[in-house]
Amino acid sequence: MAMTAPFYQYGMFGEETSLVLAFLIGIGFGFFLERAGFGSARKLVSQFYLNDLAVFKVMFTAIVTAMLGVTYLAWMGWLDLSLVYLVPTYLVPQVVGGLILGAGFVIGGYCPGTSVAATATGRVDGLIYVLGIFAGMFAFAEMFPLLKGFYLSGAGDAMTIPGAFGLPYGVVVFAVVLMAVGGFYGAGLLEKKFAASVE
Amino acid sequence: MRGWISRLTLNQKLAVAAVALGAVALFAAPYPGSKVTLDARELALVVGTEADHVEAPELAAWIIESRADYRLVDLRTEGEFGRYHIPTAVNVPVNVLTDAGLGRQEKIILYSEGGIHSAQAWMLLRAQGYRSVYMLKGGLEEWKDQVLFPAVADNPTATERARDDRRRAVAAYFGGQFRSAAAVAAGASAMPGMALPQTADMPKVAAPPSPSGARPAGPKKKKDGC
Amino acid sequence: MNPYLAGIGLGLVLLAAFVLVGRGLGASGAFNSVIAWAVSSVAPEHARNNEFMAGYLTDDGSSPLKSWLLFEVIGLFAGAMFSGLLAGRARLMTEKGPRVSVRARLAMAFAGGVLMAFGAALARGCTSGQALTGGALLNLGSWAFMMMVFAGAYAVAYFVRWQWR
Repeated sequence: MAMTAPFYQYGMFGEETSLVLAFLIGIGFGFFLERAGFGSARKLVSQFYLNDLAVFKVMFTAIVTAMLGVTYLAWMGWLDLSLVYLVPTYLVPQVVGGLILGAGFVIGGYCPGTSVAATATGRVDGLIYVLGIFAGMFAFAEMFPLLKGFYLSGAGDAMTIPGAFGLPYGVVVFAVVLMAVGGFYGAGLLEKKFAASVE
Repeated sequence: MRGWISRLTLNQKLAVAAVALGAVALFAAPYPGSKVTLDARELALVVGTEADHVEAPELAAWIIESRADYRLVDLRTEGEFGRYHIPTAVNVPVNVLTDAGLGRQEKIILYSEGGIHSAQAWMLLRAQGYRSVYMLKGGLEEWKDQVLFPAVADNPTATERARDDRRRAVAAYFGGQFRSAAAVAAGASAMPGMALPQTADMPKVAAPPSPSGARPAGPKKKKDGC
Repeated sequence: MNPYLAGIGLGLVLLAAFVLVGRGLGASGAFNSVIAWAVSSVAPEHARNNEFMAGYLTDDGSSPLKSWLLFEVIGLFAGAMFSGLLAGRARLMTEKGPRVSVRARLAMAFAGGVLMAFGAALARGCTSGQALTGGALLNLGSWAFMMMVFAGAYAVAYFVRWQWR
């Protein structure tokens, strides 16, 4: 058979190897998060005070990079996109969860991934944040019977934007790129206006 | 002309590259649809080794052991499936097989009445990139002959008796019954008066969940999330 | 590092995950695996009966710690530590604004973590899993989630500015 990705889904290696890869991929993830300065809560929350919009820049550059990569690889038949895991849609809890997450982000100063990065670089508040996540997840699990209805509401299949709106995939890709580049330009202007350096 | 590119800052160069790549991506068609590519030689080799055949008694043993690591697929029509099917099988008529979304990491065992549809279905799934696809050798005919209605010897030797006892037990488990070997040899038609077990009489075994477009399920059913 | 270059690096790591293992990055799920493991070690019945935790336990008796996300998060820790040491940014300290005490900051960090856990559980992911991964795959729910994260953060930022400014 042709060498098609995702390799794990095509049985090219087993679970043990995939766990090793998880570790290596994680190293790359943590490395670039810290490179971007996201091991620091002050840098992260500067996004939400419009002083330093690195969060927006890094996140959307990553999204655009991976999105273009996936699109091109799938277009050339080297990646079977239908085998890449897509999180199913649960519209209401995802919207509400997003708001809560945003609040937690600016109150606590981190998100789960960056809190681990912060802990790794000696941030005590990062460690406390991690403990908070454990406590919160445990509480959520214990309260699950009460929350279950809400948790499962608005259930739907995993949907992509092109699929949901009936647009060609490439058109959405191009639109996202334009939006991101435009956003980066705007971010530069906002930063000039509200500049306050953080470390 | 080239001058203006070199006058851009790094960030601006990145932006130009991104927009250019995005513009080309306008024409992207990332989903392959129903076209497949085959490596004929590799498939021919696989066919030659017969490594992907499963014998009926083997399958019977797996079912009795309640193994959960395979997906047994009945390729016949709904009506035929309803009248009788091998326990733990799911019904995916062959004409909708390629859209069924069977898990790629599961061991898929195909069967049909004889072997023609299962062989053709095997080819279709292999063409789509499935790796663990197997065929029940001889199909339902062989299942009836070897598992449901096995021929047991009339004057068994010691070894034959042990083997026949096993076969009798297996046949009873699946609601079938044994036949006399002599009668079979004498040319009596395969299973005279032997009714196929009714669906209600079949052993209560847990069927694997139906493959309606579900994500590939590994042996563990852990949450596959973020 | 130039944020765009860091973003490209991150994007390539994400792409590698798609290509090699057919899934994206994540973080919050790893925490759930650890909790499921911890609870099932102490009170296995309770863990099994809890629908949410049971989703992170396995049928065949292998440890919930054998989770892709957990290994990835451990790698995250290592990679971040390496980068921090390399850049001289690794320091035992508490990130906070000038007007707030360490104690108050740590209390807020804990509270933020608790909130984040609820948000991530409801949304089936966090900024790594949903926003980055789902964003790159043009997942509708992920994009909605992403916008809500920014909205929620901006909305609350004004009220906690005493912590940072």
